[in-house]
Amino acid sequence: MLANLRQSIADWIFRARFPETSPVTLVQRRIFILPSKEGYVFALVLLVLLVASINYALSLGFILTFLLAAMGSVAMLHTWRNLAHLRIRPGRGDSVFAGDTAHFAVVIESPVRERFAVGLRRRDEEPVFADIAEREATTVGIAVKAGRRGRLKCGRVEIYTRYPVGLFHAWSYFDFGQGVIVYPRPDPSAGPPPSRSVSESGEGVPIPGEDDFHHLREYRQGDPLRHVAWKALARGDQLLTKEFHATASGELWLDWNDARAADPEARLSFLAHWVIECERIGLRYGLRIPGVSVPPDRGESHRARCLEALALHGEGAPR
Amino acid sequence: MSAAIPNAALDARGVMWLLGAMLFVVAPHLARMPEWVGAFFVLMVAWRGWVAWRARHFPMRWVVFLLTVAAAAGTFLQYGRLFGRDAGTTLLILMAAMKLVEMRTSREVLLAIHLGFVLVMTNFLYSQTIPMGIYMLACVWIFVATLVGYQRGMGRPATVAERLVPAGKLLAQALPLMVVLFVLFPRVTGPLWALPQDARAGLSGLSDTMTPGNISKLIQSEATAFRVEFDGDIPAYQWLYFRGPVLWAFDGRSWRMSEFSPAAALEYPKAERPVKYAMTVEPHGKHWLFALDVPGTLPPGVSARHDLQLRSVRPVDARLRYEMTSYLDYRFGEKLPAGFREFALRFNTWQNPRTIALGRQWAAENPDPRRVIGRALQYFNSQFTYTLEPPLLESDDPYDEFLFDKKRGFCEHYAGSFALLMRAAGIPSRIVTGYQGGEINPLNRELIVRQADAHAWVEVWLEGEGWVRVDPTSAVSPNRIDSGINAALGPIGVIPSLIAADRLGILSNLRFAWDALNSQWNQWVLGYNIDRQRQFLTRLGIDALDWMTLALWLAGVSFAVAGLVSLWLVARDLPRRDPPAVRAWKRYGEKLARAGLARAPHEGPLDYLARVRAARPDLGPEAVAITERYVQARYGTGLTAPEARELAQRVRDFRPA
Repeated sequence: MLANLRQSIADWIFRARFPETSPVTLVQRRIFILPSKEGYVFALVLLVLLVASINYALSLGFILTFLLAAMGSVAMLHTWRNLAHLRIRPGRGDSVFAGDTAHFAVVIESPVRERFAVGLRRRDEEPVFADIAEREATTVGIAVKAGRRGRLKCGRVEIYTRYPVGLFHAWSYFDFGQGVIVYPRPDPSAGPPPSRSVSESGEGVPIPGEDDFHHLREYRQGDPLRHVAWKALARGDQLLTKEFHATASGELWLDWNDARAADPEARLSFLAHWVIECERIGLRYGLRIPGVSVPPDRGESHRARCLEALALHGEGAPR
Repeated sequence: MSAAIPNAALDARGVMWLLGAMLFVVAPHLARMPEWVGAFFVLMVAWRGWVAWRARHFPMRWVVFLLTVAAAAGTFLQYGRLFGRDAGTTLLILMAAMKLVEMRTSREVLLAIHLGFVLVMTNFLYSQTIPMGIYMLACVWIFVATLVGYQRGMGRPATVAERLVPAGKLLAQALPLMVVLFVLFPRVTGPLWALPQDARAGLSGLSDTMTPGNISKLIQSEATAFRVEFDGDIPAYQWLYFRGPVLWAFDGRSWRMSEFSPAAALEYPKAERPVKYAMTVEPHGKHWLFALDVPGTLPPGVSARHDLQLRSVRPVDARLRYEMTSYLDYRFGEKLPAGFREFALRFNTWQNPRTIALGRQWAAENPDPRRVIGRALQYFNSQFTYTLEPPLLESDDPYDEFLFDKKRGFCEHYAGSFALLMRAAGIPSRIVTGYQGGEINPLNRELIVRQADAHAWVEVWLEGEGWVRVDPTSAVSPNRIDSGINAALGPIGVIPSLIAADRLGILSNLRFAWDALNSQWNQWVLGYNIDRQRQFLTRLGIDALDWMTLALWLAGVSFAVAGLVSLWLVARDLPRRDPPAVRAWKRYGEKLARAGLARAPHEGPLDYLARVRAARPDLGPEAVAITERYVQARYGTGLTAPEARELAQRVRDFRPA
């Protein structure tokens, strides 16, 4: 209930502020502080102690009560100080496939003192805690489950702390408008890219044969990234490798119409799978979907461009 | 708020800290409570520790439930109830043990820590000495450190220093506010509601029986028994005998108040030196009241028994104030009815035979009772030691043991054995308990009589004189009567052999210092009640007579102190101010930036100067002067104060736009 109230207050206060420009410094007016639930229980305990002290005329009881009360109020200041003056800027966020977990990096720096147990969380999600070193950039990744393809916004992040004693909850919000691209989940049931979609130029017709196997090993040495893909492939479907190796030097058009699936999302998943496979093998491939056409090429950035096109299919142009 | 800290919070190390803190705080109780309570507690703690350390399964819920019920039932069987000081504390200890066993989430850990704070408080119900205070402060420190550990260890378990150091800082920074609250928080008179029967055990004051040993227990209590405001001068110490319960019945060990005791009018054949005063008696739960020997008037609702003991109709459950007149020079009870005489001579002949034989021997040697009394006092004076820590009298003939073997005792030993000797010698006698002496508060000329001033003396009946007060303690320790209990005992609990060995006097000085410290502690910490608060504040010049004024002061000073602490903490975080030369240089840069000549971050002062001179030749001379001074300040010999001022002035006058 308290959390909801806090959220609503924050929504109201921040309604016009987000997204904001980096870096953000947590100045005094940005930080809110309220007792945590434990803080209210603590207050209740203090009341019990006070009444007992009065009733039994216990001087040391008074001292205990007042010491704890004073400790609580000093702790409020410390909790606030644990958050104050932190400088926050967005870090890199890597694209992921739908269903995977995206990590929004946030770089936090403390101008004075090391800060402890600073938590970051998106609304209603599990927090991630970090200690923030003094005058050193500390990168914290906020994990977000990427549900569906498209643009995934990090949204407003609550940065909070309860250090040192957990009686107070000091928090602030920031939203840099950070986003990552979520690629369609590749669907292996798509099978190999249809041979029909081999480039119209006529060259590179797949020739199944065992001789090409040695030829491929050279590729692995040329490109370390592909080297990794190779290993995965070696553990995977042997038959697939053989058939495709033969067309390694070919040029392939991955076409929307060749992905025969029930609905557009499934088509995108098929195409994503093909893009990955082609890249892994080292083909030159192009992508043709309604509205977007990516000319054949290969390499990490080309792959990213293709996957991005798939991810944003049907959405607006990338910003 | 919903996101409770998951498993990380229940790391084994954190649990161990909590268990250690709990053992620490309960330890002083273990000696006070029945053995099974301690065994149960330690067992549960060990169990929980094992579960945490070896990552074992938590006990089943029904096991925990059964154990909890068993613990409550055990408490009830032990005490016959679940509330009150002993039963309540026991129950709290047992429930804390069960909480430890069943806690699984961090929230429950915090709850257990809160329980720990309450357990600290329960210790104060039993002892409020300086060592106990220090010990409990250590407990609080460990509890706070455990709290810090839970917050600190979000990512990884916190180290010992990471727990203790922040916790210690927190408590240290809390001290000023604590002192303010302690001094200014309005105190009230008496409890908010009726206390359980055993709440004041050990503080209740005198009782209706006197056994060797029970007044010396009282003597350790600095609690106020009553206060006296005299109308005029305060009589000398040796007159300050406040009469309480009068004990007639003797069973060989204890002296008791007699059940049968008709009321009497306060009429004396001789009553001189009247003293007028007002008594403010702290609640003690009994019917008797106190008055200087001998009471001359009766407050409303109070009657006097024939032995001059004042009785209130209602037990004194709340602070009671009454006005009295007493006569210091008096004679009373010249006629002793045969029944009373017989009662005042009664004793068991089969107990304390040596004492009785001695009394009879004296009576045979001295026909005059006065000589017998003198003989007895002389006897006490010659061989006996007055001590607060008398050896236990364990035999069936306690007064024989005291008079002939131990020879060390407190007022009840002297009074009891003296009265028995008198009875054996055929002199009617009775014990009077009450208070003697007190402490005069120099501020308001009030006499404060504490439980430590509890005393017992003897009244003997002499033909032609009536009842006459004899204080055998004065024969042993005249100081006790002339200057009060502290003067008589010196440092409390001195071990004679140590004193003998302490030739240089270091030990005794230490003991005196400790005694003085204790006295201050009693006076300013334990005895800081509504009266002392008023005195103290009056001395400070605060006329906080009603609690509203006090509350305002409390709020004001608390805010001021908390504000100062906050300022000190927050100020340390503020970015440090640049030295004057740097500030001037920055201002110079800002002014140029407004003129379109912003300094690039990588640009050194001399490069910047070159660019400025190229772009704005008109600014050249000033720019050169400023830059030179700045370079001198940062990279050269530094600036003298006039040079720094000159630089600041130049920058102020610099007008590039």
